[in-house]
Amino acid sequence: MTSAVAIAAVDKVFNPGSTDQVEALRGIDLTVAPGEFISLLGPSGCGKSTLLRIVGDLVTPTTGTVAVNGKTAPQARKDRDYGIVFQQATLYEWRTVVRNVELPLEVMGRGKEEREQRARAMLDLVQLTEFAAHFPYQLSGGMQQRVAIARALSFEPSILLMDEPFGALDEMTRERMQAEVLRIWAQTGTTVVFVTHSIPEAVFLSSRVVVMSARPGRIAGIVDIDLPQPRDEVTREHPRFYEKLTEVREILRSVDRS
Amino acid sequence: MTGAVTTRRMPSVGTAVRHYLPAGLIFIGGIALWETVVVVFDIERFLLPQPSRIARVFVDEFGVVVSAGWLTMRKAMFGFAIGAIAGISMALLTSRWPLIRDGMMPFAVAVNSTPIIALAPIMNNWFPITSIWPGAMVVALVVFFPVMINAVRGLSEVPAGSLELMDSYGAAPRDVLFKVRIPHSLPYVFSAFKVGTTLSIIAAVVSEYFGGSRENLGVYISQQAALFHFAEAWAAILVASFSGIVFYLAVVMVERAVMPWHASMRNVAGT
Repeated sequence: MTSAVAIAAVDKVFNPGSTDQVEALRGIDLTVAPGEFISLLGPSGCGKSTLLRIVGDLVTPTTGTVAVNGKTAPQARKDRDYGIVFQQATLYEWRTVVRNVELPLEVMGRGKEEREQRARAMLDLVQLTEFAAHFPYQLSGGMQQRVAIARALSFEPSILLMDEPFGALDEMTRERMQAEVLRIWAQTGTTVVFVTHSIPEAVFLSSRVVVMSARPGRIAGIVDIDLPQPRDEVTREHPRFYEKLTEVREILRSVDRS
Repeated sequence: MTGAVTTRRMPSVGTAVRHYLPAGLIFIGGIALWETVVVVFDIERFLLPQPSRIARVFVDEFGVVVSAGWLTMRKAMFGFAIGAIAGISMALLTSRWPLIRDGMMPFAVAVNSTPIIALAPIMNNWFPITSIWPGAMVVALVVFFPVMINAVRGLSEVPAGSLELMDSYGAAPRDVLFKVRIPHSLPYVFSAFKVGTTLSIIAAVVSEYFGGSRENLGVYISQQAALFHFAEAWAAILVASFSGIVFYLAVVMVERAVMPWHASMRNVAGT
């Protein structure tokens, strides 16, 4: 089976040759299997967002190769393999909720009927059916982020790229959104690459956590999270959950010391 | 805080009255003060006529000042339309060819801060002085620059994330323009339009001070003032300010219809 994502020997240097040259990533090798939920975890400046953006063809690597579903990243982007969710919901404020969700389908030239039907289904999925006709400003931050997720999934991309999607939300909303994302992941079977700097968030959500270290960004270790599925609030109190938190923390700490 | 608890509720007649009462009182008080000062200090009528006298002249001269006002208003609206269309077209061209933007913006910003109204006498030479054109061209120029500058900003200052998302959908440049850049520019453009309404009335009236057909508001004001008919001049000024307000409100109504989603409309759109 083709890997969803195969990253080999990727380096990224911003502004090479100038005085503000930054080595963001060095020697990244990573393979993600289809249907996996993988988190990129690390301190700020470890290049986790850059790595996500390289996968999504928003940034080109300086050296190395990225294959997505067996294709190059630019080709995968043209084939609409990516659904992207940023930290900011980035909704188009002049469009109602339902028309925001329809936008990717509109750009892809899908018919009106299909668009409406898909958008309704996606709003059902994120439980915002009754807010379809609202404008983004009328929604809370958590609801806006759910619209962004619905929009990213509307065209059934094979890979969902999420860049600290819950970073701007309060803790309670954040935990609810995590449960929601897991439910959606289970329902859609999409591969998810998730960037975060929260250790519990990474452990709770992922099938594997990629722990990264800073300056330059490298992979310090990969932790398999073998917690039972489906996960829920009980998972957060599971003894194994704490063991995994500790395992991840120790890798982060060992990197810090070196 | 104790005592009165303020809650949100539907606007009632009572709250509407309370909302507009201060402005109403100031208006009435101001007129009364003006009237009193003129009478008490026995100010010469050609220096400052009483409001009651202006009102009487306004009624007597109603036909003349309103038809003059309408001519000037038409000139302002026509010039506004030319300036707005030209400004938006130029902005769209710059979004297609950024080189035009980089080449033009410094000049546009420079020209925008010069008194374009000073061109009025020149326009009077370029176009038939009694036609609508010289005034309309001054108005068009006055409106063109703010509209173009704001439209360029609105089209280009789109948040990076919005564009990256469109990229990830594999959107064509045309889709990015119509579905993101143009809607994003609307608030910028409308704020230029609102400034433009006021500027266009000013430009139309002032350009008429330099001559034109007798039926215009500017010509009427300058001639009546020259004849020491100050009440007539004031009555015409009243028409000019009323035209400006009407024009402004008309644009605001269009704005509300076009962008009910915008922050400035939130109290109107409701939740």
